[in-house]
Order: sequence, then structure tokens, then C-alpha cells
Amino acid sequence: MSSLELAQRALAAAGGGQGILATVVSERSLMLRYARNRPTQSTAIDDLTVEIAVLRGGRVGTASTNSTDADSLARCARDAEDTAEAMARTAGEDGFPGFPGPRPVPDCHTFDLATASLDPGLGGSALADVFELAGRRGVEAHGTWTVGDVETALASSEGAALSERATDAFMKVVCIAPDGRSGYATAADRSVSQIRPGELAESAAAKATMAGEPAALEPGEYPVVLEPYAVNELMGQLAWHTFNGLAYVEDRSAFSGRLGSLVAAPAINLSDSPRYPRTFQRGFDAEGVPKAPLPLIQDGVAKNVVHDTASGALAGTGSTGHANAPGGTPYGPIATNLVLVGGGARDAAELCAPIERGIYVTRLWYVNAVRPKETLLTGVTRDGTFLIEDGEITRPLVDMRFTDSALGLLERTQALTSTPVLTSDGEFYGRRFASGAVCPALRAASMRFTG
Amino acid sequence: MRQTLADLMDAAAGRADYADVRHVSSAAESISTRNGRVDLVHRGSEEGFGVRVRIGGGWGFAAARGSEAAAAQSALERAISVAQAQPHVPGAAPLTPEAPARGSYSTALVTDPFDVSLEDKLALLLAADAGMRGDPRVTLTMAQFSAFREHKVFASTDGALCDQRTVECGGGIVATATSEDDAQVRSYPGSHREHVAQAGWEHFAGLGIVEQAPRVGEEAAALLSAPQCPAGRTTLVLDGEQVALQVHESVGHALELDRVLGREASYAGTSFVSVPDLGSLRYGSEQMNVTADATCPGGLGTFGWDDEGVAGHAFPLVGEGVLRGFLSSREAAAEIGLERSGGCMRANGFSRQPIIRMTNVNLAPGDAGSLEDLIADTDEGLYMETNRSWSIDNRRLHFQFATEAAWEIRNGERGRLLRNPSYAGITPEFWGRLDAVCSDSEWRLWGLLNCGKGEPGQTMHVSHGAAPARFGDVQVGVA
Repeated sequence: MSSLELAQRALAAAGGGQGILATVVSERSLMLRYARNRPTQSTAIDDLTVEIAVLRGGRVGTASTNSTDADSLARCARDAEDTAEAMARTAGEDGFPGFPGPRPVPDCHTFDLATASLDPGLGGSALADVFELAGRRGVEAHGTWTVGDVETALASSEGAALSERATDAFMKVVCIAPDGRSGYATAADRSVSQIRPGELAESAAAKATMAGEPAALEPGEYPVVLEPYAVNELMGQLAWHTFNGLAYVEDRSAFSGRLGSLVAAPAINLSDSPRYPRTFQRGFDAEGVPKAPLPLIQDGVAKNVVHDTASGALAGTGSTGHANAPGGTPYGPIATNLVLVGGGARDAAELCAPIERGIYVTRLWYVNAVRPKETLLTGVTRDGTFLIEDGEITRPLVDMRFTDSALGLLERTQALTSTPVLTSDGEFYGRRFASGAVCPALRAASMRFTG
Repeated sequence: MRQTLADLMDAAAGRADYADVRHVSSAAESISTRNGRVDLVHRGSEEGFGVRVRIGGGWGFAAARGSEAAAAQSALERAISVAQAQPHVPGAAPLTPEAPARGSYSTALVTDPFDVSLEDKLALLLAADAGMRGDPRVTLTMAQFSAFREHKVFASTDGALCDQRTVECGGGIVATATSEDDAQVRSYPGSHREHVAQAGWEHFAGLGIVEQAPRVGEEAAALLSAPQCPAGRTTLVLDGEQVALQVHESVGHALELDRVLGREASYAGTSFVSVPDLGSLRYGSEQMNVTADATCPGGLGTFGWDDEGVAGHAFPLVGEGVLRGFLSSREAAAEIGLERSGGCMRANGFSRQPIIRMTNVNLAPGDAGSLEDLIADTDEGLYMETNRSWSIDNRRLHFQFATEAAWEIRNGERGRLLRNPSYAGITPEFWGRLDAVCSDSEWRLWGLLNCGKGEPGQTMHVSHGAAPARFGDVQVGVA
């Protein structure tokens, strides 16, 4: 049975009437982990989630199950309906406007047959390639190789019937040299054929083995070059706290009251672009709303935030196609296809050229918002931090803590590389959902390091 | 189900050096209110098998939904094929021996939270939500309730066959006050909207969220006009919840043996601690006594057996400031020559494999009396309460935390409320400056639901016993 057929069965199990949305997300995935040049863990998952959302009195109750027999679907539907009715009974009617009816969804490139085979032999071969390279370079390799095949289907009492099957592949290589220094490289794509294990290992090993003793810099403000991995981390934080339509209407976002204002350097053009060629493309969101490109920062000016149906109703603007779950979540809608347009620099080395003394950052780690409304973040550099002197990377640096504003960094951005790349952290909590931002490297006039 | 798992392990015995299987059936309920509206009611359930095999030192794990023997068999076949497809692992150590896990475990509770009506839950949450909205500057109020139920049957080729039934529930409230350029937050009883325990409805009902709601709202509004927390070095008193998170981030994670051995370097990170440090590393002052205890009543890390069949037990991690133990698995314990695993292998549901996790990692109470006694004993400093943000490097050495609120301490008295408090430090230096821990009367277990680790990601429920504590000469006001 296809996922869409199962969604339609779940919809039927909910009985008749309006305001019912059934969603099925089925996941087949394989992940291999390795450490110190040997495999350590492997996880193969074959699972699905059926979620039924019922709208009663302007309130949405939801229930989910991973059982697909008729009794389980009926019980799930009953749970969803009972909760919606109890919500309306206890707290009165509310204003959720309803799930969308059928709407045309644009074609997306989401699927690759070879990736969907989830061949453990491909993974074993990728690991062997990395181990061989690492051995030759005198480093230990750590990381993951993973492939996934996720089908999302949705059927509603309003007539929506949608499905999308998406594959993804991701590989991460962290190389650690005998002296403890490390380097990092990842690749993400919908096709496993685009993952080059040897190239990733080479890149990570080169960073781990760069000549010179690591220097320690005093806290302070330094010019920086951030690789796309580091920029991706900033983008992710802005997606949660700033572009989030619920945070916006609740006055918790840095964009609250500032749409139309200059918030970043004029070179910053950032959008949510669900059909950008290099991203994990998506046709529709968790409520069945078609996705469309949405500018968030244009020429440095705050333009939009993203909405699901619930936050869109509060804002009076409607959904922009960014629901994470039917009826929304307490965390609000999230942009999942961020694209930061590149600039004119050929590569990161060219970004370094004007810097007299600064810091080159491969990636940022354990980044957390200290004060979300100010986009004030803290985190540490990791797996490849270097000193820039007289326009060139000269030696490794001891990792440093930064405490700075993400929008402030975009305000201080001076230049970007010309070719943004899809960067993903490859974290798959809960049901698999591949995402990542398409980012260039950037140079900012200063970044505040606090330790 | 027990017979299905036993049969599967019989089938696996000749094909793998070691194998285990869990069948997990779980249910969850999440309810939240927002500004007086019911924001979310979700009920979910799932069940399935997780099968793990070890062949020639390499591991394969496969998960399949359902409860039929065919699904378990299919997961076994997939786990074997994945294990065999990977490069050979030379010289793998045997697992530490363990008596076969046999028997049953269940949570001690009075009222099953799943038996309480949704109407009763909403009434409590809505009353608390309303209680926070006395000041117009409070623009967002939320109340949260969560409940989890799990039935797990475990078997292994070592002859284990046991089952466990657990129930967890809890919740909390949070108020956000906003101005044009600021947003300040207060929560109760802890941050991240909920304080959960392995217990029945009586735990949540006893939290007093309705009674605390007006104070929470008032403090959120007061923070908007409170002075900024000053920067500098001073004596720092932390509330029990922040001490719990400090233990979690800078002790618990640092002593996970997979991190110490470099097995988590690609994601969670490594540790500043190494195996030879055992028994000699000065982790903190003599006031510092930390235990991993999988037997604490009410703890989210309390169980009969971990997810590779090791009976839950307690053991010291830090004694009088000196490193005494690691959180371990049967494989990692064997690798460093320990006689027995710490029993710390835990998995997030059926579809994730067990990895080394915290159980209940507790800082023992001291003799400093109550929080009021501790403040009275402090000439000058800051008292910080309720975590707001957290960050620590990948070796668990350099940390920075922010809390929701702080108060000045002057001449042993709590003074002005301060906004945007934060502090930073280096793990062994910071714990070395621990000079007082409040007494048993202030000690309690704090539950965390969002401990992330593993690839694919797993969020684990853990608890930490802690009481308010005092640290000297701490860098504050860093953010």
C-alpha cells in the first residue's frame, strides 16, 4: 500500500465531516557511524507515522500511531477527535481557520533511485575509502555515512491528496591528528552518487594536519572568515528565533516591528527557496500548503517571516507554507530551505586577503541563543580554527568561544563567496527530515570572541 | 511477546557473537496552553522491535515497527546484513560479563496520568496560564503538561529476558514580558517549560503551578526594568536547577566513556578527561561528591535494567573532588579493563540503538542548610536562578550559561533583581571553587527531557539530584 493510500485509509477511519487531515510519513534509512578508523554503530530504520488532525470549534486535536491496522487507525482518529472536542468544550471555540483544500503543487526534484536502495555495501565502501585516506595521512577518521528514503503523503476532508518521496544522502568526516587537532568536511545531496568520501577525508585531514603549533588569542573582536558550515549554524538560529512567524507576532523576534528596516549589510540576500536546485526540495508543508520562494532579507532589508496556518491567522497574512505539523507547534513555523545568495569572491582564500589579523572559522558548535530577540548567540569554534595574518592563513588556533549577534554579523558582512553550497548538520532527531541551508563563506569586519 | 523475543535470540545465537532485542510499546501525551488558549493536545503511540547484533566486533542494529514475529525476524536479518557490510573490526574486546537480566520492573505511582481526564488537565493548565497575566507587559504565557508510558521487553543471547513498565509525567509554566527591544522570561518549576519525574499524576498536581503563577508573571515583568547583571568576578550562588544543568553538562557528559574513548568525536565530542585520570584527577573541591544512581525513586534515569541487560545500580563518579568512575557500557567497560559495566546503555524508543547515557547523575547534598542560610552566609555576590541558555565546548571544558534572573547578595541578604545574568568558567577550575552545598532538605531531582546525543539523534530523559550551591571567584556578566 502506498503512503497516500494509507493516508486516505486513515482519513476514512476518522469518519465523515470536515476539518480532518491525515498524514503519513514513512521512513527507510540507514546510518553507519565510525570512529578512530573503524565502524562503531549502524542503524537501519523501517518505520512510519500516521498522524490524524481533527478540527472542531476552531481547535485542532492530533493523535499519531505507527500501527496501520484498521483498529489502530480508528483508535487514532477517535483520540484526535476526542481531544479536539474536549479542547472546545473546556476552553471554548478558537480561530484556527481550517486545513487547505486541493491546490496545485509544483514539481520538485526530490528522489534518486540508487539512494533509495539503502545499500549497506555502498556505505561500507565509503568507510573503507575514508579509512584508507586517513591511514595514509596519519590521522584518525570519525563520522557518519547515511542515506534515507522518506515518503510524505497527506489526505484531507477538504479534498487534498498529496504525496512526495524524497531521498537524501549525507556524509561527515572529522579527522583528528595525533596532537589532537581536528578538521571537518561534510556533503549532502539527494543522491548518494554526489557524495565523495575521499575528497571529504582529504579536506578534513588537511585541516587537522596544518603545520604549526596552535596559538591562543586573547578574547576580543576580530575580523573573521566563516566557512559555509559556520554560516549554516547562524542561519539555523535565525530560522528558529527570527524568521519564525509565531515569535514575530508574539513580539519575541528581532524582526518584530522591524519589517522594512535595514537589518543587515546590503550584500545580504536571504530567502526560503524550496525549489532552489542545490537544496532539499519540498513541494508542500505539513498542512498541505504549497511551498513557494519567500524573500526574508533583501538587500539587507527585513522583508518577511514564515507562517503556518495558525501563526498566519494571528498575523492576518495566511500561511506561507511552513507548517512543521498539522495545526502548528508551540515552537512555531520554521524555514527549512534557506538560501543565502553568494557574492563575488572566488573562494575563502580571497575573503582572507584583506585581513591583517583575524580568525578563520570552519564551524561553530553548541550554539545557543542567549537573548533571542537580540539574536545574541554563544557557541564555540571547532574542527579547524586558524589565524589569518596579512591576508593568509598562517597557523592553527586554539578553539574560541564567541558571544555575538547573528544579525550583527550579517550587518558587518563585507563579502561572500560566489558559489553557495548545501550545508547540513546531518542530525536526524525524530522522524527523518533532511534539511540544510545553501550558504557561501563570508567575511565579517568583526566577531566578538569572549573566551 | 516474551516467547517471540526468546525465539528470536535462539535464532540469532548461532549467527552473531552477541545479540539483543527490545520490543518497545510507548504512548505519549502533550498538552499546552498559550495566552489562555489551548495551544496543543497531542496523543501518540508507537511500537516496534530494535535488534542489535555484534559480529566480529562490528555492530548492526535494525528497527522494524509492529509486534509480529515476522517483523522481529526481518529486523534481525537486516541487522546482520548491515553488520557484515562494514569494514572488519580487528581486536574487539569481549563484553563485560553480566548475570542474565530476569524479572520485571515498574514505576511506583498513585494515579496513572493517562487515567486523568483531559478536562481536568486543561483546567489546571488554564488556571495557571491565567494566573501569570496580571501585568500588561506579560505578553506570552504558557503552561505545559507531558506524560509518557513505556512497556519494554528485552532479551539477549546471554539469556536475559525481562520486562519493564515506566510512567513519567510533569510540566510547568513560563511567562514572557516584552518591550520594544527586550524579551524577558520567567519559568516555574524549572526552565524549558517542564519538570518531569518518573511518577504518577500526583507529581504534577503537587508542583503548585497555579499558586506560583502570579509570582512568575510579576518577575518576568520586573526583569524588563531591572538593572543589567554587572560583569566581573564574584561569589556565585546557583539554585538547584542550574546546579543540576551544570552537573549534566560539565560532569555527566564529560564522564561518558564513549566520549572519553573518542567514539563520539564526530558529533557530541570528546572529553577533557582521559582513562588514566581515574582515581587521580582532581575534578573539584572536597565538597564535590557525584554519583550515578539508576535506583533513585522518581528519577528519569531509574530502571530495573539498562538496554543491554545490566541491572540498575549506583556508583561514584566523583568522590571528595577526585574522579572515581565513568558512565559505561559492557563494551566500553571491557575496553578499559573494568569488571562490570556501569549500566548506562539506553535507547530512545525502539528505533534507536542503545548508547552510553546518563542515568541519574547526582551531586550529593552538603551541610550548608537552606538556600536562605547559604545566602546569609555570603557577604557579597550574586544568586542566579533558572537556566535560560547553555553552551559548552566539545571537550566539556569551557562553558557559558545564562539564567533567567539573578539577585545581588550584600551582607548576607538578597538585594536587587538583575536581568540578563550569565557566567562562564573552565570545568575543573569552577568545581574546584565549590565551597558549599545546601543540605538534604533543599536537595531534589530535576528532570531533563531534551538530552541530545547519538546519530541518528536521540533525546534521552535523565534526572539530576542537586541542591543550591556556592562557587567562589566566578566570571559573571559575560553576555
